[in-house]
Amino acid sequence: MILDTNGMKPIYIQIAEWMESEIMNGGLNVDEKVYSQYKLAEMYNINPATAAKGLTKLAEEGILYDKRGIGKFVAEGAKQMIIEKRKNQTLKQLIDDVVTEAGYLQLSEDEVIELIRNSWKGRAE
Amino acid sequence: MKAVQTKELIKKYGRRTALNGVSFSIEENTITGLAGRNGAGKTTLLKILTGLLKESDGKVEVYGNRPFNNLQVSANSIYIDDQMNFPTSLTLKEILEEGRRFYHNWDHTLAMNLFDYFGFHPKGRHNELSKGKESTFNMIIGLASRSALTIFDEPTTGMDAAVRKDFYRALLKDYLAYPRTILLSTHHLEEVEDILEDILLMDKGNLLMHTSMEDMKSYAVAVSGRKEWMPEWMEDKHLLYKEESGPYEQTVILQNNFTSEEKEELKRKGVQLSPVSASDAFVYMTGEANGKGGVDDVFSGRIDSGSD
Repeated sequence: MILDTNGMKPIYIQIAEWMESEIMNGGLNVDEKVYSQYKLAEMYNINPATAAKGLTKLAEEGILYDKRGIGKFVAEGAKQMIIEKRKNQTLKQLIDDVVTEAGYLQLSEDEVIELIRNSWKGRAE
Repeated sequence: MKAVQTKELIKKYGRRTALNGVSFSIEENTITGLAGRNGAGKTTLLKILTGLLKESDGKVEVYGNRPFNNLQVSANSIYIDDQMNFPTSLTLKEILEEGRRFYHNWDHTLAMNLFDYFGFHPKGRHNELSKGKESTFNMIIGLASRSALTIFDEPTTGMDAAVRKDFYRALLKDYLAYPRTILLSTHHLEEVEDILEDILLMDKGNLLMHTSMEDMKSYAVAVSGRKEWMPEWMEDKHLLYKEESGPYEQTVILQNNFTSEEKEELKRKGVQLSPVSASDAFVYMTGEANGKGGVDDVFSGRIDSGSD
């Protein structure tokens, strides 16, 4: 991953999202220890406090759990939590944007659903 | 424990006030950036913290001691800038040896490895170094001293981009391995912001802001679009800068404290929100350009000193 340091998205969020994708694609498994804030700081050339904030965010969401003095580990059901979160937040936001844009263009609900169906078909092929 | 604490710190040079009542504290083992325009009081502040200057009034403590004339502070802090003088009779290698004798945490292996990496000659002389090489050498001393309070005042003067990058990386790596309190003043905030935890912003002898780098990066937002698209409540936002682009369009830099409903409304109206980097936000906050034309005023005749 390359950090986008000029964007709207804070670096600690980018770090958290990167760890989420590592969990999603099997790079990090349940009960596996994740990188420490110091390791992340060194990998991404960022302040360790920033990296710690990303780890804390995932721990607060229950995706990671803490073993005192040892580090943070991937929680049971982490994948499902990430999927739920992305569905309810990221995907919902994208769809809201689609609907808003469709509103500008004065498209009907059916037309938009038709577009989604086509895109879905294209993806399956 | 607080590494640094000041309260209503004042420094006057004759009639001129360089520090106008500065109060802040810095947690131990953090990297803090110090930004400010030329003449904002950065160097004065840093020199007081290391005991090189005596404060005029107010309180200043470094690890619980008043820095001026204090051996405890001298032994545990270092101030690096581009005006460092070393005895001309010593070679570069001998200067490093002296550093080892003075600083009890000194890492001579690190000093010599950096010395070799940056291609210094052991028999070289400090006064014969180019500007950039001099800064690089001074930076090595600053890193190798491993002082509990390490202060870099504009450490990258004259360094080329590659050396600056190496320096920031070396600083971060050594800090991760040996945490200590680091203060770094810079005019290149965009280059160091990612390795900073906190930032102090100074303007005209005052402390403008002391906040986390993360908050500084989202402190301001650029709002652009047609004037009639801008909702009325925007008037109540704290304006940092305004720019008209053509007769219909405008861009305003505002403090970024919008609610999600407000953002939603702007988006719906077609107004664009874009991020303002920490260094740009800082320029908007401290610029002479606050609502005026900046240096353009000099050329448009709006600034006239009255001399012919």
